[in-house]
Amino acid sequence: MVILEAKNLVKRFGGLIATNDVSLSVEQGSITGVIGPNGAGKTTLFALISGFHTLSSGEIWFEGKRIDGLKPYDLCKRGVARTFQVVKPFASKSVLYNVTVGAFARTNRTAEAERSALEVLKLTGLYEKRDALAKSLTIVDRKRLEVAKALATGPKLLLLDEVLAGLTPREVGEAVELVRTIREQGVTILMIEHVMQAVMALCENVHVIHHGVKIAEGTPMEVTRNETVIKAYLGEKYAAAAGSQ
Amino acid sequence: MSIKGQAIWGFGAVAALAAVPLFLTQPYYLHTVIMILFYAFLASSWNIVGGFAGQLSLGHSAYAAIGGYTSTLLFIHTGLTPWVGMLVGGLIAAIIAVLVGMPTFRLRGAYYALATVAFAEGFRVILESTKHVGKWDTGGAEGLMVPLKGNMPSLMQFMGKAPYYYVILGMLVLVVLVSWYIDRSKLGYYLTALREDEEAAQALGSNTAIAKLQAAAISAFFTALGGTFYAQLVRFLEPPAIAGADLSSQMVLLAIVGGRGTVLGPVLGGVLLTTLGELTRAKLGGSLLGIHLILYGIGVMVAILYKPQGLIDPLMAGVRKLARVVNRSRAAAETGR
Repeated sequence: MVILEAKNLVKRFGGLIATNDVSLSVEQGSITGVIGPNGAGKTTLFALISGFHTLSSGEIWFEGKRIDGLKPYDLCKRGVARTFQVVKPFASKSVLYNVTVGAFARTNRTAEAERSALEVLKLTGLYEKRDALAKSLTIVDRKRLEVAKALATGPKLLLLDEVLAGLTPREVGEAVELVRTIREQGVTILMIEHVMQAVMALCENVHVIHHGVKIAEGTPMEVTRNETVIKAYLGEKYAAAAGSQ
Repeated sequence: MSIKGQAIWGFGAVAALAAVPLFLTQPYYLHTVIMILFYAFLASSWNIVGGFAGQLSLGHSAYAAIGGYTSTLLFIHTGLTPWVGMLVGGLIAAIIAVLVGMPTFRLRGAYYALATVAFAEGFRVILESTKHVGKWDTGGAEGLMVPLKGNMPSLMQFMGKAPYYYVILGMLVLVVLVSWYIDRSKLGYYLTALREDEEAAQALGSNTAIAKLQAAAISAFFTALGGTFYAQLVRFLEPPAIAGADLSSQMVLLAIVGGRGTVLGPVLGGVLLTTLGELTRAKLGGSLLGIHLILYGIGVMVAILYKPQGLIDPLMAGVRKLARVVNRSRAAAETGR
């Protein structure tokens, strides 16, 4: 079953077309990847789906209902949560406080919100650091906190924007495990990622964006062998070399 | 600190404050203490939108004026007791805060602050230049007298100072309790979140525009109650005093020095700075006119330079440390026995 369907998304910023007729669908319960070179328009695509930018044209459907034009907080209530590539912790507050803000999306009672926030902290491995101030965290833990906050809102679809960027290989391994665990909880995941090792390990389906246009779609193995994709990443020469092998 | 611990400390502090008029019987001193609590009250009211929500309103005197003028005009022309009139004024102020907030909360940082200055100054000029609203005489630039009816508790008029002291103490306790509740509630979490990062707050399901308007309405409501209290205490309203930029910036400074966005910071700032202001005026005002304002300004600068988060944090840390030492020595005494 398709949980998210984006049809012919277009986003213009003045003369620049950041997203040009991109369509994609995400299967319920899947981990779907969005890859592409720097400046390809991946984050803009996320901003469109999560309601932070308005579409120039196109439609977005979530669970059979049209959601384009809704505000981020309305989407969050419906079950679409996102993380930010440049993490946005509430710096002067504790880890628990940060995550509790997210948990308030599903309850009005502070005690209940704190309880579910603590559950999420256990799941994401931040439980021991719950009283630390967000600004004192290392970059790995800030990325984890970003995921924990979004997860606390009780999403059906979680949009992860480069949560593995800047991590060491060992940390990437741990984060891959975390993403798997989250999926096992029944959360569908759409992730932008540069770390190919993780994309190969996690994603069932990958969409490749280049200059705002979707140039390929398929399993990780398929897209990494796709000639257009290789050209986009490495240039004409390498594509020719790869083709002659 | 546990909720029980906070309740015990709070109850003790209120009991101690309630005993003050028993010792301070001279009207001048009692009046000074009333003004200290009055400013602590206003700073706490401002703090709900200026501190918790982080929206630097520099025009809150307009809400105090709305409160003072509403209850007084209703009292003069319809005979409505200010006890009820203050609630009417509070509601009107809350509605106006929402109407002002809807366009201005779209502005960020300094632009929002400037918009609030423009609103409040505009309101003051209207008050000064308007002599009549319908058939009601509003006094214009000459100001508005609150008619004296004698010792009438039902009309919030008292002959002695002590009753006023208890009224403002009650109001201060109320606004602190409301602040404490907001701080621990969903609204408080959402306000803190939008203060730190509005986009992140929205991504987590908070309708930040609504949260800001709620804070603005509650803040304006309490500020207006303060305006009515001022009108009953001083029995004279004039636009520069009740609707001027001085009163607006006073609220802001007290809250910032004490600790913006904390429950007790504005109370601490109100008590410390108003006391400092009164002391310097009493000791030095006669010989060097205006020196108290300079000293007051230096006090504010020192506090902002060295404790930009406000004085409440180091104070509370000290209190907690003291409590730990007391507990430890008590435990040591028990094991030694």
